[in-house]
Amino acid sequence: MTKATSIKRRAITVFVKNRPGVLNKISMLIRHKMYNVETLTVCAARQTGYSRITLTLYEDKDDKILQVIRQIEKMTEVISARELGINESFWREVVLIKFEADQSQLETLIEKYKFEVLDRQNHEVYIVQMAGVSKKIDDLIQDLGNDKIIEVARSGFTALEK
Amino acid sequence: MKGTELVLKALLDNNVRYVFGYTGGAIMPVLDEMEKQKTFSFVMSRHEQGAAFMAQGLSRASISTPSPRVGVCMATSGPGAMNLATGIADALMDSVPVLAITGQVATSVIATDAFQESDVVGVMMPLSKQCYMPLSAEEIEETIHEAIYVAKTGRGGPVVVDIPKDIQNQSSSENYQFDAKSYEPDLPGFVYPSEPDHNLLKKAVARINKSEQPVIICGHGVISSHGGLELKAFAEKANIPVCFTLHGLSAMPVDHPLSLGMVGMHGSVEANRALLNCDLMISFGMRFDDRVTGNLEKFGINADVIHVEIDPSEIDKNVKSSIAINADAKRVLKILVKDPECITKPRRFWFEQIESYRAEIASETRKEIKRGVGQEGQLLMKTIVTKLSDVTGGKDIVVSDVGQHQMILARFYNFQTMNSWFNSGGAGTMGCALPMSVGVKLARPEERVWVICGDGGFQMNIQELGAIMEHEIDVKILLFNNGYLGMVRQWQTMFYNGRFAGTPLKNPDFGAIAGAYGIPHQRVSAPDQIVDALETAAAHKGAYMVEFLCDPSEIVLPMVPAGGGIADMIVSFDNNI
Repeated sequence: MTKATSIKRRAITVFVKNRPGVLNKISMLIRHKMYNVETLTVCAARQTGYSRITLTLYEDKDDKILQVIRQIEKMTEVISARELGINESFWREVVLIKFEADQSQLETLIEKYKFEVLDRQNHEVYIVQMAGVSKKIDDLIQDLGNDKIIEVARSGFTALEK
Repeated sequence: MKGTELVLKALLDNNVRYVFGYTGGAIMPVLDEMEKQKTFSFVMSRHEQGAAFMAQGLSRASISTPSPRVGVCMATSGPGAMNLATGIADALMDSVPVLAITGQVATSVIATDAFQESDVVGVMMPLSKQCYMPLSAEEIEETIHEAIYVAKTGRGGPVVVDIPKDIQNQSSSENYQFDAKSYEPDLPGFVYPSEPDHNLLKKAVARINKSEQPVIICGHGVISSHGGLELKAFAEKANIPVCFTLHGLSAMPVDHPLSLGMVGMHGSVEANRALLNCDLMISFGMRFDDRVTGNLEKFGINADVIHVEIDPSEIDKNVKSSIAINADAKRVLKILVKDPECITKPRRFWFEQIESYRAEIASETRKEIKRGVGQEGQLLMKTIVTKLSDVTGGKDIVVSDVGQHQMILARFYNFQTMNSWFNSGGAGTMGCALPMSVGVKLARPEERVWVICGDGGFQMNIQELGAIMEHEIDVKILLFNNGYLGMVRQWQTMFYNGRFAGTPLKNPDFGAIAGAYGIPHQRVSAPDQIVDALETAAAHKGAYMVEFLCDPSEIVLPMVPAGGGIADMIVSFDNNI
């Protein structure tokens, strides 16, 4: 149901009136245009009654992404929609990871990644939180290794223009 | 006030007079209130799809009247609402403002698979411009006002308001107040440019002045913005030929010396050749639909494009523009007409070329029209349509169904009256015409309305003869009966080696059906009977049906084959294979 693979990741930030069905509409449009939503974050905007949606998808062509944005902008509840270029904005993720480790391994990892430990259920299982670029999170996950990880929750991107 | 009263109050405040619809469990309270108040004319369709097209007809036809209206249709929950869906999707494709009010099951049972429950908002969302579900009586009025505002503002479109039955029956609190007169929608993101960009207009005028071989493409936006007179004035002032999209037709008289007729898949030779050889396309209120452009890679390769369009998401969607003006077509045309910088240029070479395009198949076509019959000795649709133009002077309103007859009307009817041509373009919904004509006639009761259907489409909403009978709708029905789904048959003839899969129709006695609904009928099988029959229909007071026995071998030409560019246009075809 999705188009042939593009390799360029794009972030679109949309400000909307917080009404039921807005997210549904936007995701339906993206599906209709044959994209897969890669990540999606929604939060309250500063002004009450409004929300900020940040989504990412893959598309190589600039004019195609402009079409998606213009069609999103057309929706009556949408205040604005724009692309946040990877060089002109910060894209960040939050991750929560539950994993097994002994005290010394944990300390080495904290040294390297500066994450916050949220919970130590016993001396061997930890839940930690880290925010940052995707690459850093990927690295942490790789460093921990599949054997040690019990569960991972990643937020998907949120982004802000420089 | 009760929810139902608030629904009707909001409609009245928006000058709604006609409501088209079909009752049922979840919409009963609104209809009951309507019966009590007797302030509306309720037109009962025989199927909800009919109601949606009737509402469309009212909207489409009233745009050019002093009081444009938004057509309103109503249906019950579940199957009632689902039956509206085709008409709603059609309105979205053709940018027609329509308000659909559907009853929904009570909030206490929503999402429990209750009797006659469908997720109407979920289904309608991608088919409409906006959907609402008020969840208290106090939300109803504002919702309907916003719905109508959204439907008709900017590029028109259908809006759905789904009202649960308990909310219809709920009463507003004593303190509830809503002032319709001072109402302003709270939609900060829903803005349309009020004035076209001055600098872009200046650039456009310079480009137009420079052009030796320009062509104007007039789209539906010119009709919707009621800008036909301005279009004609601009074309005459700048001396530029005009071609029309399917829905751009009737924006100005089609026999005007600058008119090239319809462009696109079944466009005229002159319109298509002009588009192919122009150095500049000036397009107003259109979206470069695939039926206009053919293969995009081969479209407008040697031309600059000035695109005037109210919907920014249409700009650069299919065809890259050199100058894009995001504005209302009429507003831009008005400025261009008055702009002293915009000059009149003779463009003799270009007009000579255009005359040669006009001549290309003109004499063959004239001969065919004169002969009046096809290979099987039955009537040619183009002859009937030409004679219809003669009888009406091209002044009457024409509502067409979808198929060969639609394309032939677009090519051969001599459109004289602004906004006198109604049919389903974007969606191409067979069966649209009969119900649409009901709304059209109610919007423009003083004008004569002809409905032209093929034998296929006629039977898709044939039940609306009941509505025509009951409400004494004076429409002249012309049934082009060739015993086939003609357009598909044409493709089968041309591209599928003449295998007629699923296109032959064993038809009923249409005269007996018309008679059963009290509609006089006559059958015409010879060319010399056509004019008499049309004149009889025109003179008859009330609905009348003429059935023409048409030749199944008739092919609509020219034709740009699917996937081809305009240059691949087929202008003649040997049908004797």
